Amino acid sequence: MRIVILTKPVPDPASGGERLLPDGRLDRANSAAVVNGNDEYVLEKALKLVAAAGEGEVILLSMAPANAPETMRKALAMGATRGVLLTDTALEGSCTWATTRVLAAALKTIDFDLVFAGVDTSDGGAGVVPAGIAALNGLPYLSYAAEIEPDASARTVRVRRISSTGYDVLEAGMPALISGTQALGEPRYPSLKGIMAARAKEITTLSLADLGIDPSTVGSAAATTRLVGSTPPPARAATRVIRETADVAAGEIVAFLADRRLI
Amino acid sequence: MGSLLVVGELAPDGTLTKLSTEVATLARALGASAGASAGSTAGSAAGSTAGSAAGASAGSAAGSAVGGILPAAGADAAAAELARFLPSVVLEAGATADANASQRAAVIAAALDGISHVLLPASPDGRDLAGALSALTGWGVLSNATGTEPSDDGPVVEQSVFGGKLITRSVFSGDHGIITVRPNTVTAEPLAAPGAVTTRQTPPVTSIAQVRVVDHIEAEGAAVSIDDARIIVAGGRGVGGPDGFGLLQDLAMALGGAVGATRAAVDSGWIPYSQQIGQTGKIVKPQLYLAMGISGAIQHKVGMQTAEAIVAVNRDPDAPLADFADIYVVGDLFDVGRALLEQLRTRSG
Amino acid sequence: MRPVTNEDRAPGPYRLTEEHEMLRDAVRVLANERVAPRAAEVDRTGEFPEDLRRLLADHDILALPFPEEHGGLGGELLSICLAVEQLSRACATTGLILAVQELGSLPISIAGTADQQSRWFPRLASGDQLIAFALTEAEAGSDVAAARTTARRDGDHYVIDGAKRFISHGSVADLLVVFAVTGTDDARHRRLSAFVVEVPCDGFSVTRLEHKMGIRGSPTAELAFDGVRVPVGNRLGEEGDGFDIAMRTLDRSRPGIAAQAVGIAQGALEVATQYARDRRQFGQRIGDFQMIGAMLADMDAGTEAARQLLYKACVEIQAGAPDASRWSAMCKLVAGDTAMRVTTDAVQVLGGYGYIDEFPVERMMRDAKITQLYEGTQQIQRLVIARALLGKGG
Repeated sequence: MRIVILTKPVPDPASGGERLLPDGRLDRANSAAVVNGNDEYVLEKALKLVAAAGEGEVILLSMAPANAPETMRKALAMGATRGVLLTDTALEGSCTWATTRVLAAALKTIDFDLVFAGVDTSDGGAGVVPAGIAALNGLPYLSYAAEIEPDASARTVRVRRISSTGYDVLEAGMPALISGTQALGEPRYPSLKGIMAARAKEITTLSLADLGIDPSTVGSAAATTRLVGSTPPPARAATRVIRETADVAAGEIVAFLADRRLI
Repeated sequence: MGSLLVVGELAPDGTLTKLSTEVATLARALGASAGASAGSTAGSAAGSTAGSAAGASAGSAAGSAVGGILPAAGADAAAAELARFLPSVVLEAGATADANASQRAAVIAAALDGISHVLLPASPDGRDLAGALSALTGWGVLSNATGTEPSDDGPVVEQSVFGGKLITRSVFSGDHGIITVRPNTVTAEPLAAPGAVTTRQTPPVTSIAQVRVVDHIEAEGAAVSIDDARIIVAGGRGVGGPDGFGLLQDLAMALGGAVGATRAAVDSGWIPYSQQIGQTGKIVKPQLYLAMGISGAIQHKVGMQTAEAIVAVNRDPDAPLADFADIYVVGDLFDVGRALLEQLRTRSG
Repeated sequence: MRPVTNEDRAPGPYRLTEEHEMLRDAVRVLANERVAPRAAEVDRTGEFPEDLRRLLADHDILALPFPEEHGGLGGELLSICLAVEQLSRACATTGLILAVQELGSLPISIAGTADQQSRWFPRLASGDQLIAFALTEAEAGSDVAAARTTARRDGDHYVIDGAKRFISHGSVADLLVVFAVTGTDDARHRRLSAFVVEVPCDGFSVTRLEHKMGIRGSPTAELAFDGVRVPVGNRLGEEGDGFDIAMRTLDRSRPGIAAQAVGIAQGALEVATQYARDRRQFGQRIGDFQMIGAMLADMDAGTEAARQLLYKACVEIQAGAPDASRWSAMCKLVAGDTAMRVTTDAVQVLGGYGYIDEFPVERMMRDAKITQLYEGTQQIQRLVIARALLGKGG
């Protein structure tokens, strides 16, 4: 069972360390990065599936600046087998379309049964790249998975896809691309053994030349979208703190809601 | 800007989603004011071929034409509903509602003559479609839009990034693009008179990888969806257990809203993941967010900080939420909650 | 002692690597979830927490100091100290379990043959066995060379007679590194040799367990050796190497105690800070009063300074800096004094509540004191540093 995890380093949402370049793009090289939160759930699922199968690999695939090996390390410490880092300075400023194409090309160089991705990324990510990769590579795409059940002998996979009222059960043949959610289960904490073992795990790098992609078709110059401005969000009004009895406090809330025509 | 195409979507019960009607309203506003701005681009006005879903000619001085498409065979009622918000709707029978994103995207891609921009709901289905459509057309995507307006460079799309720390405005580099739109960005407004519905049957593209829907499961006591709820009553660790959510449920009903939760409550099994708000759950923008026993740590905050009004009840006077709520009651959420429920019920008589 | 130049300095960024952070966080999570809830009870009962020792073993934490070839994790000194710090933040006794495992095995790492290491390391790395460092005697504390326990050669054995005092883990260890006199006529610093004694064995007994001010869950034992026979193959290094092995061990083990001290200080700082946030008097939270705020600020700055010195010392010692003794002594000196000061101030911030066991700071203050005493008193640390500064005699 070989499972590829599409993973993206993102600015640490907790630290507020996002740095912007003068043109408004995220300065990924200088923003402290962590593994995208949603990627950890699909990684955990992949580790469990490979362990249950008794054999196989979990391969990380990431398109990122050259400092990304640090963020891959946690995933390797959790138990991923190896990593493939797609990095090229020409990729800076790529839009989702370029990212989709490049990752789709990189995926073609790897042998796999399943590809997993997190449903979206915490850095404003759209959640559209996995769907695009599937379409480009002719893979069945099953999204918003709360459960993933491959049947290796039948070469099929079943997925519970979250809907607004419950879930749908989908089935497709393998190889397939699946995007997963938190509902897949809490990711394991890397063990000390895993952390130390990650040192020796292999990370191969791929450049655009390796994939036969013309640099002029990716990066900021070729981007299909362009930032024209950014502002901090409008400031909220000052908080009114109420320390009264429950009845008085409730009355204040009701008055506020009435005033805003919410009730 | 050429013509705009709105893609509608269905809820599990087969009705048109509220978000679809909001996207339609937004698209009409975008199209109308595009005409008002000087020198609106002609887009791809070159000849509407048979089968174009655009209807009216593209890029007229009166604004850009806006049409809709619903890739869901047999969904006549939903198509009629969408037509209340758009001058023309094509019910595309070449794809069923169950068809996977790639199949529906292929059918939409076949209908893009004269279309410069496609607008979709920023829902799971909408995102899947946007991704597949982008791959098939090579058009860029601007997702999770919280606003759009026209400009000489085409639609300017507003987005909230880095957990809400920054509001960005972006355009497409070329003449085409795909936009997904968040719930509650606009209020849906029907047309004075409904538009026309035409049916079309595009041959399915068989080469696309198949995904079979084996079953639809409705969760027991499925909660009111928080995705586009106007009012959300949310509970966190302070609620203490599933029983505590009963009070929140009563409050939500009294206010006409839905019940949401933080990750802590979901992880503890008190409420399903579908109700989770935050970084790994849903991002919501209700008119009122009533937070009960929620500290407001960043992972949750990113899910609700753009709510128009935030009222919080918490015993901890120093929780992060105290810095950005409109009203912060320091107190026991059950005492205050029960008092509030009583007063709301008395008010409504 | 030659002057130290810039070339000798270990390279390194002023940030922990991702790996170090992961390791620190992994231990922190464990400490918060499994160790902290047991800390008060361990202190109150004074019982060695066998369950927590098992926990550390199960999570490979006891494997950190040992080489990978013997089932260890090959952790460097900084990694070991990060783990000790996080554990000690929750419970000083538990942090000491790892620190003593490292302390006891260092003589074998420093002077043991490959064969000796492969004999003893695997079960130490797995945590199945514990090891203790038996150097101190009733009449030989700071004055190590004054030890009187003897090891007399008898054919292919040594016979050990004497007693050791204040030996951490002395009653729970399976292996003891015992320093005994083998050369009564030799120069003072060549009289001792080091032996690994496998217990229980004939002639060995635990004669006393101390009731201590702090780290009460850590058994501190008096050990008696009455004709204990030890094979020659259990001697570490050559006869007479004992003193040198002990000193080199302490150079590497003192950071572990500094880590324990930094952990204790951090734990106390966090309790005091939370209290200052919650406690309201005169209509406001006490943290907003300048006298309290100033105390907390000094506690935080002091703890951070001790921490950074510790991390730097670890990197230097690991890189084989020629002035390792100076680094080792400095980090232990600063951290120990800081822990005592911070915990005392933490009790002060909590006022009356700091004096009762409803809050953990009184325990932390009692725990902190030992870091100024063992593995070399603060006075000994100062001697080491002064000697490094001034050079020897004349």
